[in-house]
Amino acid sequence: MKLKQLLWASALLSVSFACSDSGDEKPLDKYETGILIMNEGNFGTNDGEVYHLNPNTEELLPNIFEAENSRPFAGLLEDMVLEADRMYLVANTGKVEIVNPADFKSLGAVAAELDQPRSLAVNGSKLFISDYGPYDANYATPDSYVAVVNGLDGGVVSKKIEVSNKPEDLFSYGNYIIVAGSEENKIEIIDATQEAVITILDLEASPKQFYAEDGILWIYTVAADEVKFYTLNLSTLALGTTYTAPVANATSKIAFDGDDEMYVLTSSGYPDYNDAVVNIDIEENSASVTELITGSGFYGIGFDDERDQIYVANSNGFQRNGTITVLSESGSVIRTFEVGRGPSGFLLY
Amino acid sequence: MILLLWVYSFVGFSPISQDTIPLTEVEVFAPALDRFAQGQKVISWTKKELEDFQGRSLGDILQEQSPIFVRQYGAGMIASPSFRGTSAGHTAVFWNGLPINSPSLGQSDLSILPVSAIDQVDLQFGNAGALLGNEAIGGSVNLGTETDFGKGFRAGISQQIGSFGLFNSNLSGGFSSNNFSSNTKIYREFARNNFPYKDLGQFGTPEVKEDHAQVEQVGIVQDLAWNLNPTNLLKASFWWNKTDRMVQPVMGSQTNDVQEDQALRVVIDYFHFGERSVWNLKTGFVHNELLFNQSENTTSQYFLAGDWDQGISDQWTLKFGARYTLTKGDLSTYQADDNRIELYQSTKFSASEQLSFALNLRQLVYEGNLAPFTPNLGMDWELWSKESQTLQLKASLGKGFKVPTLNDRFWNPGGNPDLLPEESISGEIGLTWNKQGNVNWSQGLTYYKMSVDNWIIWLPKGSFWTPENIKKVNNQGLEYQGKVNGNLKLWKWELITSYSFSQAITKEGIDKNDQSVEKQLPYTPQHQANAKFKVEREAFSAFLSTCYVGERSITADNPRLMPSYQLFNLGLGYDKLQLGKVYIPLGFQVNNLFNTDYQVLYLRAMPRRSYQFNLSILL
Repeated sequence: MKLKQLLWASALLSVSFACSDSGDEKPLDKYETGILIMNEGNFGTNDGEVYHLNPNTEELLPNIFEAENSRPFAGLLEDMVLEADRMYLVANTGKVEIVNPADFKSLGAVAAELDQPRSLAVNGSKLFISDYGPYDANYATPDSYVAVVNGLDGGVVSKKIEVSNKPEDLFSYGNYIIVAGSEENKIEIIDATQEAVITILDLEASPKQFYAEDGILWIYTVAADEVKFYTLNLSTLALGTTYTAPVANATSKIAFDGDDEMYVLTSSGYPDYNDAVVNIDIEENSASVTELITGSGFYGIGFDDERDQIYVANSNGFQRNGTITVLSESGSVIRTFEVGRGPSGFLLY
Repeated sequence: MILLLWVYSFVGFSPISQDTIPLTEVEVFAPALDRFAQGQKVISWTKKELEDFQGRSLGDILQEQSPIFVRQYGAGMIASPSFRGTSAGHTAVFWNGLPINSPSLGQSDLSILPVSAIDQVDLQFGNAGALLGNEAIGGSVNLGTETDFGKGFRAGISQQIGSFGLFNSNLSGGFSSNNFSSNTKIYREFARNNFPYKDLGQFGTPEVKEDHAQVEQVGIVQDLAWNLNPTNLLKASFWWNKTDRMVQPVMGSQTNDVQEDQALRVVIDYFHFGERSVWNLKTGFVHNELLFNQSENTTSQYFLAGDWDQGISDQWTLKFGARYTLTKGDLSTYQADDNRIELYQSTKFSASEQLSFALNLRQLVYEGNLAPFTPNLGMDWELWSKESQTLQLKASLGKGFKVPTLNDRFWNPGGNPDLLPEESISGEIGLTWNKQGNVNWSQGLTYYKMSVDNWIIWLPKGSFWTPENIKKVNNQGLEYQGKVNGNLKLWKWELITSYSFSQAITKEGIDKNDQSVEKQLPYTPQHQANAKFKVEREAFSAFLSTCYVGERSITADNPRLMPSYQLFNLGLGYDKLQLGKVYIPLGFQVNNLFNTDYQVLYLRAMPRRSYQFNLSILL
């Protein structure tokens, strides 16, 4: 889940309302308001799906892809990207499904030539898709790439741009695609016209997510005992101030609340497997860290800016459907409800 | 040595074919599975009955002809059995008395146990931890090869050609005198599996052809038996099987995985027959290699066992035995050894012709840890008989266990060396009515109840998965089994039917909020039924069979159900075509007669209608 969409969504809402005036009598806002809940699905079962929540009425619509398209999503849903008036559903099982965000009806797909796609960005009329590439004998991914597709409604992969191992989030700005190279701690900048990497920036931690605000791209990175927020000036493409917060065992899951506050999932791993939601508050050059709740099985996080609520997803071990816990900013539980298999992220309008 | 004997027996058959020594056909002794299985339900397929399944896998027989649900991951792909709502790891599989489940996975893939390699299949239902040992919780599958003394020479070739690139070849040959027997089978089974299906994972759900499910399987089976003298018998069997598979991707995935499975199994039995007694010394070796893409997993098991079966009187029979197993695992992420010793004892008491009891006891020790002690008490009682009719009651009560597999304990990362064995307790009661006459009837109904505790499941913890003894599952169900046969003028006919109702309910889940508690286990249909109607007239035979599998959920909390399905198969055969001394049986089969579009597991495409021709040449 890419929380940069918080920003994009609000920017695009006006656009999509303006553009969707096609004489259709149907209410426009079936899925375009509220919260989309991404359920990754279980490995080997490909039962990833999207749920829709109306946070005002608490009405939950399950499996909206299957409900609107009369076929299952059939993939592990890695990311949902709302760009160019389209919702891109990225399945790490090797495809991207493209739907109309208003009604979730299928518009197209990128169905072949992908291995393990992770995220997507739109630049002009091109799609750029980060992909781990195939595993080798040691389950390493030495052939990671960013795939290029000409056409906003999908089609064939026209080029694979080699990047460092395990690219994750992508961010499109101007003529550039910025790539989070998670395994080798790199930021790679692709020229979208040339379809080639033109700049590589080395970081000291593993970049996971981007978040843009006021012409600055925040880069969330993870090291063993701390997290770092790099900043990248989007007009100069130069790194600026770095903020470090002493958060151990951070995962790639983060939600930004827009006020220099973030919520990060942590997991202690073997042998205790203690998970937690940690609040990071950046003031000037220092970061304060507060643990909000602890538990086990946390798998995704989101922030509802309108209601100041934190959404924490629990995978319940993938043995059954996951659950969502809604927290106040101080970490008290507001409510809990069940969603699909392996909930892993949120897209909030 | 085995290979040499095989070459001799196979190549050297023609010069001695006019053997003048009168031969008396005798089946080579094999300890009967049901000798101490009083009270337990056993169903069997003989060599002749297996003929309808030539060129197919064990999974197909179990799915189409028994109350077992087979979880099939595609055409020719992994197929794992579920007896009475238990998991694949709760089924023990034996070949000529040797346990052959993978010690790292704790289960068997039925797809790589081709029917061509075996002559006898017995299914035993319910706990048989005491009688058979580890993993016999839901039931056990017992495969055997057969040899005969005094049959002279035999040889045969059979060939199957069918839809989706099916091309199977079998070669068999054997020689037996009164004191020596050798039997060889060589097979190659190939299927391109390029069947068409509707791809639900693609925009517009186009009809596409499967292009990554090719399977090639080759193997050799060699059986030898020597009557050393009237009281001593030596038997040896050897089975090498290699399967190369493209792993059929789940719809919506673009994987290009390949898997190679290789198994070498050898068993040598020495029997000494005394006064009302049989001594058996058994030694065996099972070597498994699994290569998934480039990740290699190898295990070797060495077995040494001995038992003594002694009839004390007409009423009492006793058996004592012990088995030592050394397992060496060299897996992609760890290496581990495992030593096991088990002691077992069986007692049979026949109170009368009509009433007998069996008490079985077993204790297994693995790496110094005691597995749960497993007793089992069973009874067979002929309640009533009148002229041509009998009514038999079977009842048994017992325990079963499953030692955590090597992967459960040692997989790196995540393996949990502190796991406890799974433990089960079960009871069953069954009634069978038989009637002999112009029309023969056999109708049976069994009720079972079972509880499995410390059920091991793998859960994601942080960045990897680890197994824990978490669940408790209660199972109960009803199984109906019926058979009617008779003659109508020149026609012989037979109808075999079965139905099972199976409840497998999670009683304790992962945590207190677990929505799967009180719900049916995933991929465990409550209702399953099958039927086969067969007619024969002289050399001509035909059958129509069907199997029905009810709705089943894909997760433990049951939010998504998969639809039920019913499949039909049709077969025709003619077995009297003869050219001189050569018999040429012919067969034709249609599988999935009505072209049903179905999935056994979610988004795993299965083939629709297919045709298969069988041609054999027998000397």
